Amino acid sequence: MIVPVTFNIPGALREFTGGQSTVEIHDSPATLADALSALWRLHPGVRDRMATEQGQVREHINIFVGNENVRYTGGLMSLLPARAEISIIPAVSGG
Amino acid sequence: MGTGEESIVIGQVLGHCRVIAKIGEGGMGVVYRAHDEVLRRDVALKVVKKGEGLDPLASQNLLHEARASSSLTHPNICTIHEVGETDGELYIVMELVEGKSLHAMCSDGGLPPDSVLRYAVQITGALVRAHDRGIVHRDLKSANILVTPDGLVKVLDFGLAKRVQGEKFEDSTRSFVTTETATSVSGTLHYMAPEILRGDPADYRTDLWALGVVLYEAASGRLPFEGRTGFEISSAIMHEPPKPLGPPVPPGLWSIIQRCLAKEPMQRYQRAGEVQASLEAVQSAAIASIDPGVDLGPTRTMFLHNMRHVRVRRGDSLLLVGTTKGAFLLRSNRQRIRWEVGGPFFHGYAVYALVYDDREDRHRIWASTQNYWGTLLRFSDDFGKSWTTPQEATIRFPSDTGLSLKNIWQIALGRPDEPNVLYCGVEPAALFESRDEGKSWLLVRGLFDHPHRPRWMPGNGGLALHTIVLDPSDKQRMYVAISAGGVYRTDDGGRTWTARNRGIRVTYMPNKYPEFGQCVHKIAMHPGRPERLFLQNHWGLYRSDDCAENWKDIANGVPSDFGFTVIVHPRNPDCAYVVPVESDEFRCACDGRLRVYRTHNAGGSWEPLMRGLPQKGAYETVLRDAITADCLEPLGIYLGTRSGQIFGSRDEGKTWQRILEGLPPVLCIRSALLGDASFRSELTLAEEPAATKRSVPASSPGSKPLPTSKSRRKKKR
Repeated sequence: MIVPVTFNIPGALREFTGGQSTVEIHDSPATLADALSALWRLHPGVRDRMATEQGQVREHINIFVGNENVRYTGGLMSLLPARAEISIIPAVSGG
Repeated sequence: MGTGEESIVIGQVLGHCRVIAKIGEGGMGVVYRAHDEVLRRDVALKVVKKGEGLDPLASQNLLHEARASSSLTHPNICTIHEVGETDGELYIVMELVEGKSLHAMCSDGGLPPDSVLRYAVQITGALVRAHDRGIVHRDLKSANILVTPDGLVKVLDFGLAKRVQGEKFEDSTRSFVTTETATSVSGTLHYMAPEILRGDPADYRTDLWALGVVLYEAASGRLPFEGRTGFEISSAIMHEPPKPLGPPVPPGLWSIIQRCLAKEPMQRYQRAGEVQASLEAVQSAAIASIDPGVDLGPTRTMFLHNMRHVRVRRGDSLLLVGTTKGAFLLRSNRQRIRWEVGGPFFHGYAVYALVYDDREDRHRIWASTQNYWGTLLRFSDDFGKSWTTPQEATIRFPSDTGLSLKNIWQIALGRPDEPNVLYCGVEPAALFESRDEGKSWLLVRGLFDHPHRPRWMPGNGGLALHTIVLDPSDKQRMYVAISAGGVYRTDDGGRTWTARNRGIRVTYMPNKYPEFGQCVHKIAMHPGRPERLFLQNHWGLYRSDDCAENWKDIANGVPSDFGFTVIVHPRNPDCAYVVPVESDEFRCACDGRLRVYRTHNAGGSWEPLMRGLPQKGAYETVLRDAITADCLEPLGIYLGTRSGQIFGSRDEGKTWQRILEGLPPVLCIRSALLGDASFRSELTLAEEPAATKRSVPASSPGSKPLPTSKSRRKKKR
């Protein structure tokens, strides 16, 4: 059975998702890395905004699975619960 | 150690917690499930009996440590809610974590690499937080790490081990030496770092050793150092390398474990944050190579924000202004009296570099934009009405460098007869070159592989290559300036580079005249006399007349030789302009007076230019690229300040006018003159507030007239 996960896309990135504010991934990704791979295949422009050329999520970009920042759940290897909602959120900081 | 088991009964109340059931027993005492009757939540209650092995001083220390650790809040650290003591016992009230210990999880064999990485990132995150607060765990082991059914890691007992285990350890070591086999303390011994066995105090790196042991254990199901007796275990820890871990353990993870398990603390990671970065890099390797498999051609996008566009005409004089929050385009005619303002472009992005490219028939503005979504090089062929937004960043560090682009500090055009050549100076310090109009970029390896590079040190603005100067008379010769690396020159088109800093003083180093390492802020060349360069250093003002072979101090009569910027008069190689700044501590105009200094004799003397510039309470700063000159007669000079003002002079600096104020801090300013040849007659550009987001095909930028919309403009106003 396919259990989709959903990405919430922030305004600044919708330019690269054809204006969509949510993107559903339909192939039951097990980890965040799997889900991101699927997102970036669908919408390649999102990748370089979220990650550096070495594949590291940018310093001031936070990714939440549900209500938890993945920094505290294992980073890119974080497990995704069924029907996970993944949010991409830039840090609120700076002048 | 004795436990408090006998003296605690189910139902007893300690503080405001009622004991419900015993849930475990460890080296430090017995752990109960309890109910906090005030906050009405279940908690874990650890009871340590005083007396046996815990003298009054030790119990005071334990209390102190527990209180310090209770300040640690982190999702991967088991929170200490409360500490207290009763007559016979010390007790610690902690977050109740339902889960399995990592020790139990990997006792039947190694865990899958994905899981190890998932837990490793969390354990390391906990260490980063604790170390930042000055707290060393001292007893990190797999039995102290719980994993919840959701995969969330909780590290237990931060800081609690210092006194208890420390004192116990001395006893145990003695007993181990006399061949006792390990029992309750053996778990601890397997994780002990060589320096602890030698009797040295624990520090952050001791925890990183223990982390290495934990990750080894998690990945393989085995401990890296084993033995039948305490002596054998200690001996293995002190002298033997761990048995290598092969597949399925990723090589990157094995390298991290090995570095944690370096016998000498100096050879290990020095901070938990470094381990975290390495772990993230290993995780990232899996997704870095994703090939989107889709066309990544550039898209052209009109920006939404309330942006104004200016009507640009043949013969116009333009100023390109980059600020910390966007770019602006100012236009005037050759009189340069009134300026129209367009922008902001790139709302909220820092624009460190702008340049106007009119080689061949172009009228292209290049811009670098930076914010937390990354750094991009973009261009506009229609004076800002639309900008390229490449899906994929075109300037990228190759994967073998391990580096990521932080910022583009400088965009430099190739020579007029190489109209498709561009250079970018970036942070971390490196030079990139494009030979196809910026479509693809290559790292200039000759400079990147320079043996000095590992010893360049970041300046205040990071480690950046911020200045690129091409010799117009010698196509093989080019200069770059790096903060703080100094000036480097190539004479073979970029294949090899030599430091050219002879005579430039470094105030902050023991050796005042090193070969390299100078914090050069700007260099400028006179195109008609390319062997001459001026240089504004972190401290010091210099000139070279021999292609940077030797530098001569020319700070003759400036109020300070600190500053960020220098430009040369385009028609007079003896004339240069600087904006002195009071000091590196107080980076503002000297005495609160904004003054430009000019030399007419190549630095023999300097005169202040200040008519029209604020002379009272003007604590202004002009950054390294925030001054420019046009090529008109008489020369126009323009500067932007960190307070968001732009001043201009139409008479070579004699008198100044404020052109604009209220901008975000100005990072760069560049002049552009639109000659007839560089301007396509069919292109009409009209003032137009952007109303809707619109995409224009990339294939034929600017090939048809863009619509004017005066009527809409009137309506909007």
